[in-house]
Amino acid sequence: MATEAAPMDEKAKRMRDLLSSFYAPDPSISTSGSSISTSFDNINSTSFDADQYMDLMIKKSNLEVLLQRHVQMAAEIKNLDTDLQMLVYENYNKFISATDTIKRMKSNIFGMEGNMDQLLQKIMSVQSRSDGVNTSLFEKREHIEKLHRTRNLLRKVQFIYDLPARLHKCIKSEAYGDAVRFYTGAMPILKVYGDTSFQDCRRDSEEAIKIIIKNLQTKLFSDSESIQARAEAAVLLKQLDVPVDSLKAKLLEKLEQSLDGLQINPEEARKLAKQNDSSNDAESDDQRPAKIHEDAVRGFSEAMRAYREIFPDSEERLFKLARALTAMHFESMELYIRKRVSTEDFLGIFRIIWEDVVLMDEVLPEAALSDLSAEAAQVTLKQYVARMFSHLQQDISDTLLKFGINQKEAVEGEVLKVVLEASKKAVLQGTTDIFQDFHQLLDENTGIFIKMKELIIGWIQKGFQDFFRSLEAQFLVLSGKTSSSNDTEGGLIEGKSSDKIHAGLILVLAQLSVFIEQKVIPRVTEEIATSFSGGNSQAFENGPAFIPGELCRVFHAASEKLLQHYIDTRTQKVSVLLRKRFKTPNWVKHKEPREVHMFVDMFLHELEEVGKEVKQVLPQGTFRKHKRTDSNGSNTTTSSRSNTLHNDKMTRSNSQRARSQLFETHLAKLFKQKVEIFTKVEFTQESVVTTTVKLCLKSLQEYVRLQTFNRSGFQQIQLDIQFLKAPLKETVEDEAAIDFLLDEVIVAASERCLDVIPLEPPILDKLIQAKLAKSKEHNNNNTVSS
Amino acid sequence: MQGGSSGVGYGLKYQARCISEVKADRDHTTFLTGTLSLKEENEVHLLRLSSGGSELVCEGLFSHPNEIWDLACCPFDQRIFSTVFSTGDSFGAAIWQIPEPYGQSNSSTLECVASLDAHVGKINCVLWSPSEKSDKLISMDEQNLVLWSLDCSRKSAEVLSKESAGMRHSLSGGAWNPHDVNSVAATSESSIQFWDLRTMKMVNSIERSHVRNVDYNLKREHILVSADDESGIHLWDLRKAKVPVQELPGHTHWTWAVRCNPEYEELILSVGTDSAVNLWFASASSEKKTSESPVEASRQRVNPLLNSYTDYEDSVYGLAWSSREPWIFASLSYDGRVVIESVKPFLPKR
Repeated sequence: MATEAAPMDEKAKRMRDLLSSFYAPDPSISTSGSSISTSFDNINSTSFDADQYMDLMIKKSNLEVLLQRHVQMAAEIKNLDTDLQMLVYENYNKFISATDTIKRMKSNIFGMEGNMDQLLQKIMSVQSRSDGVNTSLFEKREHIEKLHRTRNLLRKVQFIYDLPARLHKCIKSEAYGDAVRFYTGAMPILKVYGDTSFQDCRRDSEEAIKIIIKNLQTKLFSDSESIQARAEAAVLLKQLDVPVDSLKAKLLEKLEQSLDGLQINPEEARKLAKQNDSSNDAESDDQRPAKIHEDAVRGFSEAMRAYREIFPDSEERLFKLARALTAMHFESMELYIRKRVSTEDFLGIFRIIWEDVVLMDEVLPEAALSDLSAEAAQVTLKQYVARMFSHLQQDISDTLLKFGINQKEAVEGEVLKVVLEASKKAVLQGTTDIFQDFHQLLDENTGIFIKMKELIIGWIQKGFQDFFRSLEAQFLVLSGKTSSSNDTEGGLIEGKSSDKIHAGLILVLAQLSVFIEQKVIPRVTEEIATSFSGGNSQAFENGPAFIPGELCRVFHAASEKLLQHYIDTRTQKVSVLLRKRFKTPNWVKHKEPREVHMFVDMFLHELEEVGKEVKQVLPQGTFRKHKRTDSNGSNTTTSSRSNTLHNDKMTRSNSQRARSQLFETHLAKLFKQKVEIFTKVEFTQESVVTTTVKLCLKSLQEYVRLQTFNRSGFQQIQLDIQFLKAPLKETVEDEAAIDFLLDEVIVAASERCLDVIPLEPPILDKLIQAKLAKSKEHNNNNTVSS
Repeated sequence: MQGGSSGVGYGLKYQARCISEVKADRDHTTFLTGTLSLKEENEVHLLRLSSGGSELVCEGLFSHPNEIWDLACCPFDQRIFSTVFSTGDSFGAAIWQIPEPYGQSNSSTLECVASLDAHVGKINCVLWSPSEKSDKLISMDEQNLVLWSLDCSRKSAEVLSKESAGMRHSLSGGAWNPHDVNSVAATSESSIQFWDLRTMKMVNSIERSHVRNVDYNLKREHILVSADDESGIHLWDLRKAKVPVQELPGHTHWTWAVRCNPEYEELILSVGTDSAVNLWFASASSEKKTSESPVEASRQRVNPLLNSYTDYEDSVYGLAWSSREPWIFASLSYDGRVVIESVKPFLPKR
């Protein structure tokens, strides 16, 4: 089939080429593509040379091919002939039909001119007739129009004359709307002609309108009228060009004045809250202030609703009013919580305010009151939480300072113990209470609270953290150990200088810090973990707000610092005592010792005070040395021992003496070495007393080293130290260290002595006994007299 | 005597309280120390640290007639020093010259240049003017402040002026301001007093009782360090001396002496009767520190103690930095043991 199609195509193509060459003006264009390439064998090209082609064919082809070619060519020629014939015939046919059509057109157009002229004539005559009718009717029409205008005018005049009567009728029937419509309708005329013929009429109607305005105003101001009616009245008044703005202003002012009535008075707030709380069981009593307040607010919001409808353009003003009321509420709330407020009261007032806000929000949703109040509530709540913590801190420090600890009581009575217990209780109870309050806060279901739960928890955690931190700072301030870094706080207690702060208080503070570290903080941590966890979503960026570990560390450090401070203040007192003791006499010209010096008494007295204070506040240590049964016996033995030591020394040759002495002390130290004098202080009675005694004895030694003694001076020291030995060992747990230190004092004195000859043991004993007897007698006297 | 853990040790024969650096010796790190013995013949030891820093060599041993309570070296002549001594019932102060050649050991006698004998009471200390060319001296007893002019060549000292601080005050020691040669700080029972030497008047004071020792910061003007029995070490800015700039806890017992490092302004050494030497780092940049939050401040308070040298058997009274090698200091405990330590591991990075 393809072989058949190809020659068919060939044929069609040739046809087309032929036709195009026939029509084309320039034959070269149409055949340009093929003429050159097939110049010899293309019959169709213009440059075809038959002879040449023939020659080529004969040269190229054999007979058979030539014959074939001949046949083929003959067939092609015949085909072409028939094609041409067909073409000519078709064209001829078309010519014939065209001639026919032209002939027909020629016959149809004939006679049209006459018809046209006729038509023109008829139209001309119609026009002239219509003009005639128009002119004949013109006059009458003019007349009718004039009459009509007159009639209208007359009707208007009639209306105006009737206006007063009509208005009165309207007033009677209270159809103010109609009246206003009439009046405004007549207004332009009255304005123009009012001074001439309509004067009476105008006056009358104006009077009527005045009445109407008055009526409308009363209507607007009367609260008994329905809002709709009042709104209408307002609209009418506006139509009558009455200055509505001033009216509005007046009304709003009234509303504003009523605000004052709505203000929650801090004094009354408490009552309010109380009553609101008990509203469930005392429903019948309508005169309760809470109810009154609620009614008032309700009225206020109703009024707002009304005004909003009456004066749609006054919204802004109303918004302002509502906001003012809310702000006022929260302000008075803030004032209120400046004093101490129980959480119930706080919540009660909060509820009331929230109700008010909800009421107003209904009326003015656009005022965004809830947002505003939520913000304000956040601030207030935050303040409240902070205030609770500060109250707690105040409580604790009040408890601490309530008992004016003075010298006497602290030692004699149990004041320190009482203070410690009270403050412990204050801290514990305070935290418990505060937790209860927070529970209440969290349980509260009033709108805002639910939203703020997370925040509140965050505040609480942060609050505890800050609370403990500031508590620690306050402890340090109270103890008088204000460091230079907080001058501001230091300035507050400048009045009570450091020596006025009783040492006992410092001790109490130290123990209280331990208590907080060990008891309170774990409890708080637990409580927070169980009830107040998860709230720190907003605080996560800085880590959790409440860090018990850090607080424990802080209080641990504080307790140690305070305890050290206590010991310091105590030893300072003794130090002053010793300083005086060693500065005053001329030790080089000291007289023979007659009795134990009185500084010993004072020193022991101080120690006794320390012991008493410590006993009240600190726990006993686990280790307790066995009680010495026979203090007297031990007294003599020790004295003799030290005596022999010194006697030994005395026997040495004079020149060798000091050196050997030094050597001996070195040797003694080698053996006794590491009698730890400055050990860490523990929170036990014994440890504190021991540390105090050790520090005092060390000071004593240092003072001795700064002096030079003659024989008697040395003997005096010897006597004093000997006397101290027994009572000190009574009070102190670390006997070895005390022994060592006492010996050190003796050694120091002997080193600083020009002429070391110790007292004979019998004399020493006698003097000590005398002193003991004297002090016993003194005590007896005291007890008798008291 | 065997040295401590790291320090170089040297033992004196008797107890001793004071040690001083021989500043005028520019070629060696040298210290001078004197013993305190009531009954024996007292000695002055000239100690030199060997170049390797591993040994403390006694370069000279001189007998001193009385027990020495205070010793200070002349800043311009390495052979001259002053002592305050006690005979038991009376006190004296004198300027001494080490005999030449002082390398010769054993018991050469000291040559007395001048005796500062304008005092009656207990003399506390002798201060040399910090200015190297000045020949001024101050001696202090409990009531009086005496300014001397020393003439070494003529071997005499002359009283330039004398002023009583009053009976009440009971002076106990002092320091000469290295930044202002006319200003001297004196410690008294109830305050630190500042004296102007031109007028010999007290011009200022810091109320602080029982201050035992003061030292000026050599590198930073206006900064004074004080040590007292009761509450440790305080740094003061003299321009606003109401409140201390910084507090350091000091020692377990009394803090006896403080010395600022001559080169590293933040380093402070203190010695105490708890047989320890403490090395402190006190930045004392006053303004910033106070305004920091208490948390920050407390954190800073935690770590000012760089190191505590506790290898002593008795109270430590003597302390001196080396100005030639400012990372070296000498300490002297009451039992007569001199210990040289290096603070190199604790030096601040510069």
